[in-house]
Amino acid sequence: MDRPVGASYQRFPRVRIRDLKDDYAKFELRDTDASMANALRRVMIAEVPTVAIDLVEIEVNSSVLNDEFIAHRLGLIPLTSAAAMQMRFSRDCDACDGDGSCEYCSVEFHLAARATDSDQTLEVTSNDLRSMDPKVCPVDQARAYQQALGGTDPFGANTSNENRGILIVKLRRGQELRLRAIARKGIGKDHAKWSPAATVTFMYEPDIRINEELMETLTVEERRRLIESSPTKVFKLDSANQVVVDNAEAYTYDDEVIKHAEALGKPGLVEINAKEDSFIFTVETTGAITAYELIMNAITVLRQKLDAVRLQDDDGDLGELGAHLGGP
Amino acid sequence: MAVLAKGDNEGGKVVDTMPLPTYHSLAAPVRKPVDKFALLPAFLKVRGLVKEHIDSFNYFIDKGIKKIVEANNRIEARNDPSIYLRYLDVRVGMPSIYENCNVESITPHLCRLTDRTYSAPIEVDIQYTVGKQHVVKRRNKFIIGYMPIMLRSSACILNEMDEDELAKYGECPLDPGGYFVVKGTEKVILIQEQLSKNRIIVDTDSKGRVIASVTSSTHAIKSKTVVLMDKGKIYLQLNQFTKPIPIIVVMKAMGMESDQEAVQMVGRDPRYGDLLFPSIQECASERIYTRQQALQYMDEKVMYPGATNNKEGRSNSILHDVFIAHVPVKDGNLRPKCIYTAVMLRRMLDAILNSDTFDDKDYVGNKRFELSGQLISLLFEDLFKTMNSQAVERMNKNSDKTRSSPLDFSQLIMQDTITFGLERAISTGNWDIKRFRMHRKGVSQVLSRLSYMATLGYMTRITPQFEKTRKTSGPRALQPSQWGMLCPCDTPEGEACGLTKNLALLSHITTDQEEGPLIDLCHSLGVEDLLFLSSEEIHAPGSFLVMLNGLILGKHKDPQRLVIHLRNLRRSNVIGEFVSIFINEKQRCVHIASDGGRVCRPLIIADMGISRIDETHMTKLRDGTYDFDDFLSGGLIEYLDVNEENNALIALYEHMDQDDVERSSITHIEIEPLSILGVVSGLIPYPHHNQSPRNTYQCAMGKQAMGNIAYNQLFRADSLLYLLVYAQRPLLTTKTIELVGYDKLGAGQNATVAVMGYSGYDIEDAIVMNKSSLDRGFGRCIALKKYTVLKDNYVDGVSDRIVKPQRDKDGVLMKQNMRALDDDGIVAPGQIIRNHDIYVNKQTPMNTSKGIGRPLTDSCYKDSPAIYKGVDGETTVVDRVMLCSDTNDKLSIKCIIRHTRRPEVGDKFSSRHGQKGVCGTIIQQEDFPFSERGICPDLIMNPHGFPSRMTIGKMIELLGGKAGVSCGRFHYGSAFGEPSGNADNVADISSTLIKHGFSYNGKDFLYSGILGQPLEAYIFMGPIYYQKLKHMVLDKMHARASGPRVLLTRQPTEGRSRDGGLRLGEMERDCLIAYGASMLIFERLMLSSDPYQVQVCRKCGLLGYYNHKLKTSYCSMCKNGENMAKMRLPYACKLLFQELHAMNVVPRLKLTEV
Repeated sequence: MDRPVGASYQRFPRVRIRDLKDDYAKFELRDTDASMANALRRVMIAEVPTVAIDLVEIEVNSSVLNDEFIAHRLGLIPLTSAAAMQMRFSRDCDACDGDGSCEYCSVEFHLAARATDSDQTLEVTSNDLRSMDPKVCPVDQARAYQQALGGTDPFGANTSNENRGILIVKLRRGQELRLRAIARKGIGKDHAKWSPAATVTFMYEPDIRINEELMETLTVEERRRLIESSPTKVFKLDSANQVVVDNAEAYTYDDEVIKHAEALGKPGLVEINAKEDSFIFTVETTGAITAYELIMNAITVLRQKLDAVRLQDDDGDLGELGAHLGGP
Repeated sequence: MAVLAKGDNEGGKVVDTMPLPTYHSLAAPVRKPVDKFALLPAFLKVRGLVKEHIDSFNYFIDKGIKKIVEANNRIEARNDPSIYLRYLDVRVGMPSIYENCNVESITPHLCRLTDRTYSAPIEVDIQYTVGKQHVVKRRNKFIIGYMPIMLRSSACILNEMDEDELAKYGECPLDPGGYFVVKGTEKVILIQEQLSKNRIIVDTDSKGRVIASVTSSTHAIKSKTVVLMDKGKIYLQLNQFTKPIPIIVVMKAMGMESDQEAVQMVGRDPRYGDLLFPSIQECASERIYTRQQALQYMDEKVMYPGATNNKEGRSNSILHDVFIAHVPVKDGNLRPKCIYTAVMLRRMLDAILNSDTFDDKDYVGNKRFELSGQLISLLFEDLFKTMNSQAVERMNKNSDKTRSSPLDFSQLIMQDTITFGLERAISTGNWDIKRFRMHRKGVSQVLSRLSYMATLGYMTRITPQFEKTRKTSGPRALQPSQWGMLCPCDTPEGEACGLTKNLALLSHITTDQEEGPLIDLCHSLGVEDLLFLSSEEIHAPGSFLVMLNGLILGKHKDPQRLVIHLRNLRRSNVIGEFVSIFINEKQRCVHIASDGGRVCRPLIIADMGISRIDETHMTKLRDGTYDFDDFLSGGLIEYLDVNEENNALIALYEHMDQDDVERSSITHIEIEPLSILGVVSGLIPYPHHNQSPRNTYQCAMGKQAMGNIAYNQLFRADSLLYLLVYAQRPLLTTKTIELVGYDKLGAGQNATVAVMGYSGYDIEDAIVMNKSSLDRGFGRCIALKKYTVLKDNYVDGVSDRIVKPQRDKDGVLMKQNMRALDDDGIVAPGQIIRNHDIYVNKQTPMNTSKGIGRPLTDSCYKDSPAIYKGVDGETTVVDRVMLCSDTNDKLSIKCIIRHTRRPEVGDKFSSRHGQKGVCGTIIQQEDFPFSERGICPDLIMNPHGFPSRMTIGKMIELLGGKAGVSCGRFHYGSAFGEPSGNADNVADISSTLIKHGFSYNGKDFLYSGILGQPLEAYIFMGPIYYQKLKHMVLDKMHARASGPRVLLTRQPTEGRSRDGGLRLGEMERDCLIAYGASMLIFERLMLSSDPYQVQVCRKCGLLGYYNHKLKTSYCSMCKNGENMAKMRLPYACKLLFQELHAMNVVPRLKLTEV
């Protein structure tokens, strides 16, 4: 299938958003191929910048966990990073020497907790972190703040009224934790704490064809068993006891139904193929940025990278892409 | 009997000789199998994991020590017996130390931290004479020494403490105890395996001769008696005789002059007579007919004649004292020994006639296990006697000097003998007791605290007595009699394979029990004393001999009845629960054993295959109204040792089928099949699905896994401690894991594993790891290392000093490597410490030999700082600094330095199925395969690991773990647990998986993370518990360019710790020779190693020297400087020549021009 030279391969992918919550999105991506979908997925996981605690200066720590342990835990707390795209990487920042007191590249946090007289253990959580920049704070603090403001829960109804925050350490009576932390911008490639994505995955949309003729040869009981042979609920019996596709996307490409059909001696009863050019994305974020931002930022980052490739034609230099290709 | 009871269901009451629970009746509705698992935790609650150690030590503290002191309770001056000291009583007090005239009680943890010995005073009540008038004085609580105390024993302060109290004393509630703390280190006295004493063992020797041997062991003497058959004739072999003595001669010497009686005593069977005939003939041909002649004959063969070279009467005393020494001789009556010899002969002849009756030395029933209590009691006995004889010695010295008033004994007894003797033996592990001719090394070992499993593994370990180098396979083989007693899996690989064993979960080792009551009981049950019988009657048909601990007690006409009676008495608690009653049909013997060191295990008693335990008992147990001891005393459960197991038919489960023919012969039912495994192998899920060596490998590796060690791990001061940051409890557990507390002190993490090939960096068992998982804390570990600095004291109060870091006038540190120091000259906790940093800024006085008198000035000290040697580029942190004074009152500074490590390429990981592998590469998460649910594995394992290893258990673990995470219930995989519900079936697991939308076979549909396209195969993926092993690249990697050299040879040093060179060894050298790379060899072997220039005299061929003043070379042999040549050779070569010179060998170099 040779195309004429100079013909354009350009396609115009379509996106249909099925579901969009603050930290969850499900959308269809059509008219493009796996490389595109996968690039988007990879960028979402590894290259969309967020802010996370990177430097911890511990003043007092008499808790049971050691300093590095606590620092590691602090790093993994997702911080609201809507402004991360506009921030500077600490290494590129000219305005500061990286000590944290720089408005362009870092945000300072303070934490001071001390378990006083009571016999109960004190739980130090992300709620105890005090940010110097209201835009950047632990996600559950932001959530609580929004709840207080709007009274409605933007993250769905499942959050209980009690917002406990992310546990950092438990303190016993007399123990104390006091520290200063600096959050910086970074990407998931460098450390997973900067990855805004909790889950980013896609699947090929299945194309399910039921051979009606062959299906007619089955008894109702056989049909029911055929339906049950699929571990997920893909098919159902309609009112006329006909096998119909209930939820095509529940299909996990497990081939169980096809194997069952073959076992019945009726190969070709059901034919399932993956549509090569349409993908169903599921995106969940850590809360650092909204799912919408994640997708949009990912597209922006991807475009920047592609621009870098385009620039490569001009001067043979990889430019900014070099940084992306060559790691940090 | 129970048989009758079955029929009479109306009567309700059972007429029975034994106190049977009376509710066994067929009228009851069909019984459901009882869930007897609850007995296991009940057993462990009562007996604990290391009960045998503690029991044995308790026995020594409570009884053994008293017996020893009582046996040697009087010492008196040699020249005046009226000066004496008598020990009235002895007891071991509470652990304490005597310091600055104060008695302070101590805790085990304090001892660990301050390098002390956890010991308690041995207090005696004494009565002694004072002064010239020999006034008798009495003193109580007189301390004769300090006894190291086993943790959790009855003398330990931790005894019977609950969790809160233990926490107060800094102790971990999961710590099993059973070890000692000596000089701050935890020492275990390993269980020692021996051949049983005082038993006849019929075997063949290396020449294929049949021998019957007895190792007699009494308090007074240990001896070995061998009766052997050589060329049809039977001889006695004893160390004391130069030659084997014909056995009939021995019989005659013991007063059995009639040959007929001797034959009668062995047995009436004519075949015995035939076999004995050559021996009788030999005796007759030597013309020995009377006792006198026999003794004379034997006297001539005595090996060590007395001091006067007088052999006369020696053999008689040997017969009395050495020959089968454990058989007591009362009033010179040798008849018991005659009978014993006859029994030995009979056993031997039986073996010749029927080779089935040979004994197996490797049979566990013929083994005895020596525990810490017994070993310490030997040591104590020796030291106690030494102490007493030293006191007597001193008394004699004193009285020689004609003092004004003779001292009394209480002033002459030195505590140090016992205190230091015990301490030294336990801390070195050398048991050198001359009195008992005992020289053993490695009896005690340092308790490994690498992981909780390692600790438990040490406590159950059994070491063999014979040397490990022997290549014989017999003792190494798995014995069927090990079943339930010793773990079939847990044994090391390599030289100690099969010799070092481990106890099974439920096994117990007995301690000695009183024989006296048993003897009386046997006699009243109809055992006839042989002394009242004629020789003919001893082996009368139908009657069996009754042996108690290897001694012939008598014979019984109805052995079955005797056995039943005795067993019923045991079940009703009249005699001890560990007494074993075993009827040996082949030997026509009833063996009763009450001696210590036998392994035994509890079993449920069954009547005609019906378990005595029913639901009512189990309910009571669950309610807490019943405990394990109630089951024992209620006659529901009993302990069987290996021998008695031969009389039992033990079923795994109750046979429910009424018509089951086999059922009626079942006498016992196992408590749980998983109890055949030990503690360490118990943490393997589905071990019964694995190839057996894999379980063995895991047993070795489980001890190297990092995790949580104890609840007090952060307060311990071990020299090296590895901890896992986020240790988890396995998703797929076993019952053993819960019983031993591994779920609370896990050593691993549940990793989502995809079984597939990826990246090529996964060959040879390497695993591919997900970088994001590592970022999030997978496999992260903490290494804590202890560095100790001693502040030494010298004469005249001069001592080392610790000075604050020197600063210049601006307050800037004089030396950069002092940055971690605090103002007191010791590192500050929490400080980051780097390579070459000082952690204790110590100075020592220049002159330490003699005191100066005046105060020392700064210039009198030289720096001797303790410098931290770490890895460049790693950040390590000072965790803690501890100051304490050690036993010599020196200040010891212990710095604990912490290093948090994340996994890197080359670190070793392992699953619980003996599948170890190193991390081959670390790959970004986005490159990892993912499923459409968004699941992305933590690590990828190559499927080639499976076919040859056959670790099906690992696959089931994956399935079970996957089902576990999806349904939220921990799944079980206990050994052989499927029928009893202690392990989940694969079918059930699969249906759970299907319910949660997974494929029943555990395989998932994955997409390539690089391409975004589906992978062409379904990938077997799910959680598997992975252990991080202690072998880490960071501790091992090593390279060097140039560096230190050995002083003597000037060659590069060896080993990583000395920054050594990498050796180009013989084989590498051979390769280079074969390749012809001569210059490379030259460079490696000489230039890069130890080049040296020498002056060689061309005439004499010896080495000369270069005179730097005259600028000429000179040969000291030829006395001139002519004919000298320069050449280069390895310094080691020059050294060799010189060493040869020293041995009067002259190597000469013949030089030719090239």
